[in-house]
Amino acid sequence: MQLTIENLTVKYGADVALQITEPLTICEGDRVGIIGSNGAGKSTLIKSILGIVNYQGTIRTDLTPNRMATHMQFNEYTDAMPCRYVMEAILDTKVSKNPKLRELISYFEFEDCLRKKYNKLSGGQKQRFTIIMVMMQDAPLTFYDEVTSGLDFETRQKLMEKLVNWYAGKTSSLCIVSHYYEELEQMTNKILILDKGKVIDYGDKDRLFQKYCGRSVIVFDASPQNQALAKDFKKLASPAHLTAVSVKDEAEELAVTKLLLDNNINFRRSNNDIEIMYSNARNAYYGEEYSHE
Amino acid sequence: MNDQVQRKKFSLSLLLFEFRNITGNPYVHIFGIGLPVLMSIIISKMLASQIPDAGILSTEVTAAVLGIGAMIPLAMILIGYAATYSQELEKGIPQRLELFGIDPGMSIISRIIAELVLQVCAFIIYFAVAVLVLGIKAPTVQGVIWYIVCIGVLGIISFGLAHAVSMIFKKFGIVYCITMMLYFCIMIASGMMGISYDMLPSGIQAVSRLLPTTYITRDFADIWLGKGYNFMPMLQAYLFTGALSGILLLFSLKRNARKAA
Repeated sequence: MQLTIENLTVKYGADVALQITEPLTICEGDRVGIIGSNGAGKSTLIKSILGIVNYQGTIRTDLTPNRMATHMQFNEYTDAMPCRYVMEAILDTKVSKNPKLRELISYFEFEDCLRKKYNKLSGGQKQRFTIIMVMMQDAPLTFYDEVTSGLDFETRQKLMEKLVNWYAGKTSSLCIVSHYYEELEQMTNKILILDKGKVIDYGDKDRLFQKYCGRSVIVFDASPQNQALAKDFKKLASPAHLTAVSVKDEAEELAVTKLLLDNNINFRRSNNDIEIMYSNARNAYYGEEYSHE
Repeated sequence: MNDQVQRKKFSLSLLLFEFRNITGNPYVHIFGIGLPVLMSIIISKMLASQIPDAGILSTEVTAAVLGIGAMIPLAMILIGYAATYSQELEKGIPQRLELFGIDPGMSIISRIIAELVLQVCAFIIYFAVAVLVLGIKAPTVQGVIWYIVCIGVLGIISFGLAHAVSMIFKKFGIVYCITMMLYFCIMIASGMMGISYDMLPSGIQAVSRLLPTTYITRDFADIWLGKGYNFMPMLQAYLFTGALSGILLLFSLKRNARKAA
């Protein structure tokens, strides 16, 4: 499975929603995290690949659209019947006769929801309903568009844990859109950064982190005292309440952490912080200071 | 390598799904079954108060029942299906199903079959009331076959129009308004609203002649009772409305087709 996007332009009326100029390739087994603020073009990209928006350009793949599975940002089903019948019609199978489907239903603890109508399900149950059917498709390429948005912390954690475990060891390619970057840290090996319909960068997650953040980042509160303490180190763009220091090697990392420990300052060390990587990638692209609103 | 499940083009589960889906729509029961039954009873009672001769009354009631029967596909499919489908379109349900690999063509075929099955159920109830309560005249076998064919084709034409209008306008409010207007205009022009075809202005009569419902309302009692009938004008009306419905349906499908990568 390989999918290549070349010279893609999507317009909504006169507005350019997405413009990809450099070729962008998704290979078999890739787990691509698609990030960007609202209106960046993330969902538009997925819709283009699925062929449900008009676009100019080329999307080259050996996959037909019906061999791609997708969890859309908004998934609605009829409320005229219990979920079981909707599921059986969509998957063209019977729950009672399909062990794989029963396994998934059990895995996502959906048994009691089967007799309910879709509009009677909670937000998390609705997400699980679609995920079960998407996973049953067992497609070479699967999209998850904000699969955990609107869920409480605990439900989100549990859902992601199940998704991570389910796809562990599988060769299917995934494209995951999320505003929760820690989810992408768990599930992806590549990152596509979009902003205002343009590609900021795309590539291996670790390589991108090193490109924009160095070996690792040390993050701590941005109090005046802390900032004064860290004045000699290279700082990265970060949320306004935090200071993020970029370290290039082990020696520098030890120096920074020792300084923070000596001054009893809480800190967090990361070599895959996607949020800070995203901020600095944007800064590098636009050549300006990125400020959090 | 993934062993992705390839779904069959057509499945019984999809047909059952569509049947459950349309029966869950209250418009279908109210306008498609309740209203025609109620109207046939009211009009028959009115005729009974005006026609003293039992033989003539029975023929007139039969004509009225057969004519009002044409309301069933219009109400059940033209209005009812358009209401359901446009609401589904607003929610993105058809697209969601397509993304799960359900072929839109097969989905439409399943919907047509489900609508026709429900239409048969509605006619069984309708004629049960007509026979048991209103006492319509017994038909010839040929008359029954012609009625089934004419109503069935009218149902398919109504489906094409309802699906096309829904896909073109997509919003429930607009679609409901258009189909309701079409429904009442067809009823008026076909002589179902108290003014018969002969009493309509000549301009409206020209439109009436293009509608199959005009012939069902005006002439079907003769066919029902096995009398000789020139089918050509009715056939022309079916061809005209069928072509119109088909063209609109193809246009709407083409306009909304998914782009292949």
